[in-house]
Amino acid sequence: MTRQADRSLEQCVALVQARARQVRRHIVEMVYLAQSGHIGGALSAADIVTALYWDLMRIDPARPDWPDRDRFILSKGHACPVWYANLAMRGYFGLEHLRTLRQFGSILQGHPDMHKTPGVDITTGSLGQGLSLGVGMALHGKLAGKDYRVYVMLGDGEINEGQVWEAAASSAKYKLDNLIAFVDNNRLQMDGLTADVMPMEPIDAKWRAFNWEVARIDGHDVRAILSAVEWAWTVRGRPVCIIADTVKGKGVSFMENQRAWHGEAPNQEQYEQAMAELAGP
Amino acid sequence: MSAAPKVTQAKYATRRAFSERMAEYGHIDRDFVVFEADIGYSTYSYLFGQEFPHRYFNMGIAEANAVAAAAGMASCGRTVVACSYGVFLTMRAVETVRTFICYPNLNVKLLSSHGGITPAIDGVTHQASEDIAFMTTLPNMKVLAPADTISSRKLFEVMLKTPGPVFVRLMRDPLFDVYREEDAFELGGSKRLIEGDDVTIATYGDLVFQAIAAAEELITQGIRADVLDLYSIKPFDEAALRASLDKTGALVVVENHQKRNGLGYELANWCLKNRPVAFDNLGLDDTFAESGNYYKLLDKYGLSKDHIIRSARRVLAQKGT
Repeated sequence: MTRQADRSLEQCVALVQARARQVRRHIVEMVYLAQSGHIGGALSAADIVTALYWDLMRIDPARPDWPDRDRFILSKGHACPVWYANLAMRGYFGLEHLRTLRQFGSILQGHPDMHKTPGVDITTGSLGQGLSLGVGMALHGKLAGKDYRVYVMLGDGEINEGQVWEAAASSAKYKLDNLIAFVDNNRLQMDGLTADVMPMEPIDAKWRAFNWEVARIDGHDVRAILSAVEWAWTVRGRPVCIIADTVKGKGVSFMENQRAWHGEAPNQEQYEQAMAELAGP
Repeated sequence: MSAAPKVTQAKYATRRAFSERMAEYGHIDRDFVVFEADIGYSTYSYLFGQEFPHRYFNMGIAEANAVAAAAGMASCGRTVVACSYGVFLTMRAVETVRTFICYPNLNVKLLSSHGGITPAIDGVTHQASEDIAFMTTLPNMKVLAPADTISSRKLFEVMLKTPGPVFVRLMRDPLFDVYREEDAFELGGSKRLIEGDDVTIATYGDLVFQAIAAAEELITQGIRADVLDLYSIKPFDEAALRASLDKTGALVVVENHQKRNGLGYELANWCLKNRPVAFDNLGLDDTFAESGNYYKLLDKYGLSKDHIIRSARRVLAQKGT
């Protein structure tokens, strides 16, 4: 739908991969400078969010309030550095704002605020609510006869919240084929492994049982992300959930799969090592 | 107005009057939609659903999802009325109301039935005796509480036209009517139902009628009460309150709600800062109520006419000392 006609799939994949590396560098730098923020879950979601903002979504950064734009909801709002980095890089606001994350007077609040940050389609940060917000946006699209799509990024820990399943049921009831949810399945939540804190597997079967169409992909394989979303566009009469198996802290060796990097900020040495690893070829 | 207003038996509960107007108004404003949480035949929102099936979304027994979905739709520029009982809207869904409606200041209106202990026979689980505390505490939220059929119909329009979040407290059973078609209502407004200069009785909702009855009896005892219906609870009509207290110097606040953090606390705070007067407030005294006949509950929990009379005499005595 929005894939650049003048680019091959290979070029699209390469573009997203390059941008995702830049996004990861911004995430690490933002949290380092703020000495606060959620780095692990931002890194695990980076490839999907970057694919949305650089390839898949119909948006116009010059018109963040464009009524026909595709919407993005970061339901796992604590991962907002990944959202802020993409928005800044796409030109919704200047890159210099990334240095102000979480600081007094910043347009980049600790969790996303739709009135403070251009491009943030809706306020999030309290877990378990984003899919419900997406239901309302998708219903508006149907009612208003608009063809925009609503993308919601959920955390795998977040789906502990019962309201997610209330929203899942209502999405299927209203046949919201303009609603696409991702589960960032990085297998860690704040207190430990999701399998230990609150086992939710089989996740695929749960969404299918709620009458969703389901795909399961490697959430760091950009080609798989693009293919899954293109497939989701073809589904009629049902919402789509893309379960993305990911690695918390992806891209920084010492952060990967480490519970501690949910909400830690790197010190200078860690920051320098992380930036070196993310420097790219 | 010095004589008591004409009070008649109401044909319909405020929940029904309000929803009937909502269904009518759907033809005037063709944009707003209604979200329900499976009590449409009780909130009477089904009347809107019958007229406008495509603008009516029944989200099932899942209030938090209904309220958050309402917020999502409102973020796209459409006004949404979300309907349920007060206990569920203002307590089960309170964080959703706070973070996703009030914080972003979205155009979601809460049609909240079964306010206070008006669902007396349903028991405590269905009695929203803390709803005003929760809703008035939230930044950006406005709070309205009509007492009868006409005020319900008129406050529907006030609600719809007021930008941002608005909470409207409605009641379970038909009680009485006091307002006339020509009466006007507005955000921040109030109505003086009986004029007097001995003591001010400020109230809202169902207890308007207990206050009127109390004032009528007080007249026979030589005490003239100024009865204010503060149907707009947030913001409340400071000018009317000040004018009344300038005459009376004594205030009794009567509400079908916990005393704690209700309108009584709000007005006591205002008086201490602006116009100290002899003061008393009636409400649930840090207790839950129970199942039973509405009037027996009013009596037991200190909200009925006789309690108001005693309270009025108490503050009059205070004023005299």
